[in-house]
Amino acid sequence: MKPASFEYFAPTSVADAVSLLQEHGLEAKLLAGGQSLVPLLNMRLARPTVVIDVNRVDGLSYVREDGDALAIGAMTHQREVERAELVQRVNPLLHAATRLIGHPQIRNRGTVGGSIAHADPAAELPAVALALDAEMHITGPNGEKAVPAADFFVTYLTTTLEPAEMLTEVRVPALPQGTGWSIQEMARRHGDFALAGATVTLSMNGGMCSDARVVLFGVGATPLRVQQAEERLIGERVDAALISEIGREISSSIDEPLADIHATSEYRRNLAGVLTERALVEALGRAA
Amino acid sequence: MTFEFPKSLDDLPISSPKWVGKPVNRVEDPQLVTGKTEFIDNITLPGMVHCAILHSPHAHARIKSIDMSRAAALLGVVATLTGEDAERWSRPMYTTPQGWGGYVLATDKVRFVGEPVAAVAATSRYIAEDALELIDVEYEPIDPIVDAFSAAQPGSPKVFEEHDDNIMYQRVFTWGEVDESFQKADHVYKESFRWNRVGANPLETFGVISEWDLVDDTLTCRGAFQTASFMAMGRAATFRLPSNKVRFIAQPHGGSFGGKGGGRGTDITLMLSRKAAGRPVKWIEDRMEYLSSGGSQAWDRHYEASIAVNDDGTVTALRVKLLDDMGATAEGFGATGAVKPMASFTGCYAIPNAEYDLTLVATNKLPASPYRGMGPPPHNFVLEQMMDIAARDLGLDPAEMRRRNFIPADQFPYIIASGNEYDSGEYEAALDKVLEMAGYEQLRREQEEARAQGRHVGIGVVSTIEPGVFDWNAYTVIGTQGIGIPEGVTVAIDTMGKITARVGFALEGQGQYTVVTQLLAEYFGVELEDVRVVLADNLSAPPNFGPGGSRLGVAITGAVLGAAQRLTEKLTKVAAKLFEVQPEDVELLDGMLRVKSVPESQLSVANAAAIMLNRSDMLPPDVDPSPQATFAWTAPGRVEPDEQGRVKSYLTAANACHLVMVEVDPDTGQVEILKYYIADDCGTRLNPANVEGMVQGAVAQGVGATLLEEYVYDDDGQLLTASFMDYLLPTIHEVPFPEKAALVTPSPFTPLGAKGAGESAIHTTPAAIMCAINDALLPLGVRAKEVPASPNRLWKLIQGASG
Amino acid sequence: MAAKRDIRLTVNGVAYEATVEPRMTLVDMLRGELGLTGTHVGCEHGVCGACTVLMDGRAVRSCIMLAVQADGADFMTIEGLASREGELHPIQQAFIEERGLQCGFCTPGFMMSILELLQETPDPTDDEIKDALGGAICRCTGYESILKSVRSAAKKLLAPAS
Repeated sequence: MKPASFEYFAPTSVADAVSLLQEHGLEAKLLAGGQSLVPLLNMRLARPTVVIDVNRVDGLSYVREDGDALAIGAMTHQREVERAELVQRVNPLLHAATRLIGHPQIRNRGTVGGSIAHADPAAELPAVALALDAEMHITGPNGEKAVPAADFFVTYLTTTLEPAEMLTEVRVPALPQGTGWSIQEMARRHGDFALAGATVTLSMNGGMCSDARVVLFGVGATPLRVQQAEERLIGERVDAALISEIGREISSSIDEPLADIHATSEYRRNLAGVLTERALVEALGRAA
Repeated sequence: MTFEFPKSLDDLPISSPKWVGKPVNRVEDPQLVTGKTEFIDNITLPGMVHCAILHSPHAHARIKSIDMSRAAALLGVVATLTGEDAERWSRPMYTTPQGWGGYVLATDKVRFVGEPVAAVAATSRYIAEDALELIDVEYEPIDPIVDAFSAAQPGSPKVFEEHDDNIMYQRVFTWGEVDESFQKADHVYKESFRWNRVGANPLETFGVISEWDLVDDTLTCRGAFQTASFMAMGRAATFRLPSNKVRFIAQPHGGSFGGKGGGRGTDITLMLSRKAAGRPVKWIEDRMEYLSSGGSQAWDRHYEASIAVNDDGTVTALRVKLLDDMGATAEGFGATGAVKPMASFTGCYAIPNAEYDLTLVATNKLPASPYRGMGPPPHNFVLEQMMDIAARDLGLDPAEMRRRNFIPADQFPYIIASGNEYDSGEYEAALDKVLEMAGYEQLRREQEEARAQGRHVGIGVVSTIEPGVFDWNAYTVIGTQGIGIPEGVTVAIDTMGKITARVGFALEGQGQYTVVTQLLAEYFGVELEDVRVVLADNLSAPPNFGPGGSRLGVAITGAVLGAAQRLTEKLTKVAAKLFEVQPEDVELLDGMLRVKSVPESQLSVANAAAIMLNRSDMLPPDVDPSPQATFAWTAPGRVEPDEQGRVKSYLTAANACHLVMVEVDPDTGQVEILKYYIADDCGTRLNPANVEGMVQGAVAQGVGATLLEEYVYDDDGQLLTASFMDYLLPTIHEVPFPEKAALVTPSPFTPLGAKGAGESAIHTTPAAIMCAINDALLPLGVRAKEVPASPNRLWKLIQGASG
Repeated sequence: MAAKRDIRLTVNGVAYEATVEPRMTLVDMLRGELGLTGTHVGCEHGVCGACTVLMDGRAVRSCIMLAVQADGADFMTIEGLASREGELHPIQQAFIEERGLQCGFCTPGFMMSILELLQETPDPTDDEIKDALGGAICRCTGYESILKSVRSAAKKLLAPAS
């Protein structure tokens, strides 16, 4: 299990990284935290001829409050997000989701941008990015742009990032005061990739749901927003009957999820419903 | 000369034991905690090159051609190897049963994904792996044989063309009046079970450095060998070399649990060394190789069982039919795992009649390997489910059901239906202890309350046997040779009075060097620091085998006590001459050789040894100037099996009773272990902390096997669990920390009364957890019959119940 | 083959230089180039935790980092845990006393994670200990004695120096 040979570059600026990407195109692979990429290199399942290590790019590691949002540098280690008191205060859902990623040793190296750009459909950060309407800030040969999470995830391990583009910042809106939230997942072991998961935000006003967001992960090719469920919630008194109805609907309506040795499609569908119910219950309990 | 071994700690030549029976710190640990222990991958020899092995991507294919030329031309490649070399230089692998294997590198065809096809040696592992990509192999795929039942059908495509079918072994063992018992029984229960492949997975994989000295045709192998001497003999046979030209040095290794055979890797590196003009060749198995082609997989079993039970709950007969999927060959002694259940076939129970219908079938999967416990864990799972099924139907509490069938404490030694003799036991006492620890009645009330709230909580209570001190005669029926397994030690006292013990087995994790140190310090009345245990290679060690079959603790105790006694006889003569008395008037006590009637006349062991080495004038004429002695121990009273395979095989029978409480989440199928209690009786505990460690570690492996671990092959024979992302070992989050109690029922047959304890809880944990799960599922009217009980499987089962 | 690169790093307070291929993993460099073989390799795909070392104070898996990424960084490995005079670190003492190891192969990796934990959380709860160690696999002990070792090490480290 030793990687095949590759050329290695460690640019120190975003501009250099982008021009290297431009030069090497699809031959190149960007190395962020490496927690997914290097195992694949070791197994020779990933065979880039060029590795562009962006760990030495200046100024991509930060967590800042910027107006009503958190601005997080793409190369910020997940562990820093987890430790940031600011994140816990401004967006407890993001904090909770980050803590569900792998293990501390993984989060010490793994980056926010790396996880989101890798776009594993079972990963937590893409799911909460979608649930929280995060915005992806991208730099490419034609300059900078921002892409909403809703448009970012295309399919399994694929985003709208062009070969010469690089994710530089993720802006995550603050969770409004009083919003209930939850992230629930089921994994074979603590810290494993989720077989399925659900994340929910819920705003209640005078006993009625005024806003809701329901996102599933691990059950489709990307994180899935379930607008049908959101519509069922908004304008309703959210009670046990409604919650279990929504769970059942999710279990029966979502497209057939991928099957693997740990979970059949049927089982994943069931989990999607069950975990959504549990997330709704918890979010409701937290909503003020 | 017959030896009288001390039966208990009181019989040791010490006023009050200071070391043995105490949880003393391990002598091996300071090196280990500082990272200084010499694991095989830490060693670099001058001129050493690195081996990488090309594995078959097909489960079943004919090899049309292999072209090594591009690989051989790569800069840094020193030698290449294919099956042709293996055919020229070696014999086909030794297998049990015989005749079910090929060469260490495939020749005519490949029989499993991962089978070694070719190998290279290069100046680095990186380059060696680059070279693998330049090997051109042309395969002609054949339909793979993956399903055990189909493989066993007449007319199935064959794994080995030279055999009539895929049946490696088939035999029905009948013990007692089985048919009659089933006819007469008040109740007969029958059920099928499935145990999927699991395996050892020590944190260190196998590794070896081999040298083939071309000048005088000697072989030297350093490696993570569990049984170095045994391996050395095998290499001599494989390469048709005089056995004293094969030198094996076992390095300390990072666990084994039965799976560190390493025959293929050793032979491949030896032949590469031969091709590389004798340069040392290192091969470190990587984790994916371990999982897909190493000693990683065991127990791929399909069971049908039935029991005959009377109204009062007494079981009169047990029938077990096993179809065991051995994978592609019978190398590596994996098949012994299907035979070992005969050593404890009827568990803790006095079931007088039994039948074992055993079929071993070849398929295109990785050959099965030994794994801790060697086979009884799945058998115990089956037996204990049957006990619970009967108890439920008869309205008996599962604990009571077991109590009614236990072999009574006053009936030991007891010969079970399948022929093995249990040395001693207090099964009811262990059960009572567990029930008391758990507050069983209260737990049952809690369970009732939980059920009333709609929760699925269950309790399993299971008692099992750990057969200890394995002997080859247990496996005669499947073709192994010989009776007895000598384990030796040489004990030497030097001129400074320091003691050195020379053994033939390497550190593996069980703390055996500590046990040797404790015993010698105790026997000769010295401090632990005065004793050192050193490893000898196979050519200089006394006869030895090493760890295996819960044997080494007992065997090495016998060896050490035997050698100490022999040495003491010499020292006694020296003292007797000095004090001008007869040797029988001198005794050893607390490290002093003293005249029995004149306790003031005493000579320290150290001084007696120094006299032997430095004062020939004071040496008795019948004593050589060598304060050393060697003793090899083997289990007494072992003979050949009878015509039904019945034999006294394993010398000791340890016992454990586990009580587990679980909750099953019906919505997800997830199992949570709520409570766990263990009472464990392995006789005298030479180092109680060692034993506790074995128990807890084996609980973890049992939990893994029951809830997480599983090797999965698809219909094409591709392994879907070739990494730790998919083969799920339990972590600190998944393993319960049971409350544990020790009972001590010494073995009357072993030195100091110790019993084999190395396999420990893995015999019991899977059965206990599965019983608890099924107790939880009882109100749903479904039963889990497949291990591991993954969330997906349990959920599906529960779905079946409710709709 | 890609051009080799020169790197400089500090390990256990000692400065090193090495020339490595870009593809060489950090653990292969530590073990093979620097001879620091106390860090072990268990899976080479970032799951088992045996290869864990501290990089700039953070526990990381050295099998899924490249050696070139070590340039300029400060590392601690198991070889740096005991004092240079050979006095064992309280974590090492605790592992011996509480039987936190059997075969000892995973132990160096565990200890590095524990060191990071105790530097940051000197008096951890059991849940905090489990969180810190959940990504490390021990196949021998069943973890109970490791948990006890961490508790004991924490106590030793908190005890006022006598």
